[in-house]
Amino acid sequence: MRGRRQKGAEALAPDPDAPAIAAERLTRAFGDNVAVDGLSFTVAPGELYGLVGPDGAGKTTTLRMVTGLVGPDSGAARVRGLSAESTAAVVRESIGYMPQQYSLYGDLSVDENLTFFARLFGLPKAEARERTAQLLEITRLSRFGDRRADALSGGMYKKLALACALLHRPPVLVLDEPSNGVDPVSRRELWDLLHHFVHGGMAVLLATPYMDEAARCDRVGLLHRGKLLAEGPPEQLIRGFHHATLMLHCDDRAAVEGAIEARPELLALSPHGADLRIVVPRAAVGTFTDLGRRGPARFTVSEVSPDFEDVYLGLLADAEAA
Amino acid sequence: MSRLVRVRAIAQKEVFHILRDPQILIFALGMPVALILLFGYAVSFDVEHIPLAVVDQDHSAESRALVAAFTAQDLFELVATREEPASVEPLLQRNVARAALIIPEGYARDVHRGQMATAQLLLDGADNMSAAIALGYANSIALSQSLGRARVQLGSFEMPVEARVRTLFNPRLQSSVVLVPGLMVIVLVLVAVMLTALTVAREYERGSMEQLFATPVGRIEIILGKLAPYFVLGLVQVLLVLTTGVVLFDVPVNGSLALLFLIASLFLLAMLMQGLVISVVTRNQMVASQVAAISTLLPAMLLSGFVFPIDNMPPVLQGLAHVLPAKYFVDGLRGVLLRGNGLDVVWPDLVAMGLFFVVMLVVSTKRFQRRVA
Repeated sequence: MRGRRQKGAEALAPDPDAPAIAAERLTRAFGDNVAVDGLSFTVAPGELYGLVGPDGAGKTTTLRMVTGLVGPDSGAARVRGLSAESTAAVVRESIGYMPQQYSLYGDLSVDENLTFFARLFGLPKAEARERTAQLLEITRLSRFGDRRADALSGGMYKKLALACALLHRPPVLVLDEPSNGVDPVSRRELWDLLHHFVHGGMAVLLATPYMDEAARCDRVGLLHRGKLLAEGPPEQLIRGFHHATLMLHCDDRAAVEGAIEARPELLALSPHGADLRIVVPRAAVGTFTDLGRRGPARFTVSEVSPDFEDVYLGLLADAEAA
Repeated sequence: MSRLVRVRAIAQKEVFHILRDPQILIFALGMPVALILLFGYAVSFDVEHIPLAVVDQDHSAESRALVAAFTAQDLFELVATREEPASVEPLLQRNVARAALIIPEGYARDVHRGQMATAQLLLDGADNMSAAIALGYANSIALSQSLGRARVQLGSFEMPVEARVRTLFNPRLQSSVVLVPGLMVIVLVLVAVMLTALTVAREYERGSMEQLFATPVGRIEIILGKLAPYFVLGLVQVLLVLTTGVVLFDVPVNGSLALLFLIASLFLLAMLMQGLVISVVTRNQMVASQVAAISTLLPAMLLSGFVFPIDNMPPVLQGLAHVLPAKYFVDGLRGVLLRGNGLDVVWPDLVAMGLFFVVMLVVSTKRFQRRVA
């Protein structure tokens, strides 16, 4: 490790002008299964980037390649200009990482977990104490310093994991499904924390399967089978959506659902109170309006503005069809 | 400097794990004591007080003298007398007696005529170890009886050939003295291999290994930090087993204590590495514990020379025994404890264990990569 660190020292300082994270045609297969397929994206300092996709889309593998925990078959992940693979030791110093799985020590207390990671990151004692107190304060865990980590609620646990990942003041934070298993209140709190750090100039890359979370990112990349379907700020993706979102007002929702669910134009369908919300290609809007008038199950149609979930489901359906 | 801090951080965390899981301490410190008490008191390879049934059909002074010769020492213990030879077999079957001495009518007559007098000894072969030892006792009793007769009839008689045996290092051939080194092996492999295999596999299983790999901590630092507490625990066990052995069973310590701990340390290191290899390959506590149990207990019991002499094994097993460190540990330990050997004699054992350690170290560092997939 040490030998590698010293070799070519001039190339090993982080480049402040480089993107915080740059994925360059990252590819990684496990056996026959291509988990990540030529994926490229960048995250700037002070930006919150969300990798959004269903389970198995390749989110975790991408994050692991960025943190140097999985080696790419081809392509490269760079953190502040440095390769996450060949200069992993330097890159690790600038990344805070929170894996999806519970990864702290349940039989250690909140304080002990923090102290342990502070020592691993080589924080001097006084600084570690100060930083620990500060993070406990921010995450509002100060009262729970003595509590064993396995006795924390899901939300408190995630906040502790976040605190452990932030001890060394990393300029880059990587989070794998941070709000998995967290109640809605804690979830909001967690997001407020993230925005707080992003405003301070931190680059955050997170993976999430939840659309409401994706909508809170500065930019998102829609990941499907290891490839990006679309990328951009959520509002922009919504504005540029080329399909139509329709609300079907029905007398008998179940009957309508039965009548339309086999139609090939249908891209997405979800119940919405007594109504049905569907995504269809713009060209098919007339067809559905007719269908509602003629029956057999009658409904009236009104077009509504799409939300992020409609965009996501519509693009996903396009990709599946292609 | 920061490396040392990280090693200490990991070691301290491991100590917390150990102290907070009472099962580990019970396993690591209770088991050695339980084993040594069990082996020292209950399990003995010394065979004495063999229950003996006697059928004396001769009813003569000579026949009574023979029975007395059998029961004079603690070797045999008279548990039943019967009149009919047929009636002793049920006693053997029901395990009331392990041996039966049958003296037929005419025994005294044959003795006095100088003819060959026969008495029959029935042995329970189901317990072959006791049977073999009982046979040895019986033969020597018969021999001394014959000698006694010969002196009476010839005035004086000396054996044409006699082997004078003097057993060195363990004159009474007590098995408890030999057991201590053997137990040490079992106790150390269990803790060193089993616990390290479990603790490293647990980090993989629980996902904390991924978190560790994402910090600047190095692989060697993880290994050193995680293994150090178990190394210390192992040495405590050595001390525990040794003290119990010396205090309760009069195990002699004829050689140097420092050398003894050097041997134990090297063996411990080899076993810790074996545990590490198992856990980085399996990455699963369940599988790791099974592999650890099979790959350590069997060699420790069977291939260390603790119970069965290695020289009598088939070549394949002998080869295996010579690769694994258990044999060298028992060998070196017995040498130092009983024979008072010094470094000049036990160094090959140290070298053999050192080699095994190096091979395991290379394999584990090759397999222990900062990769989660």
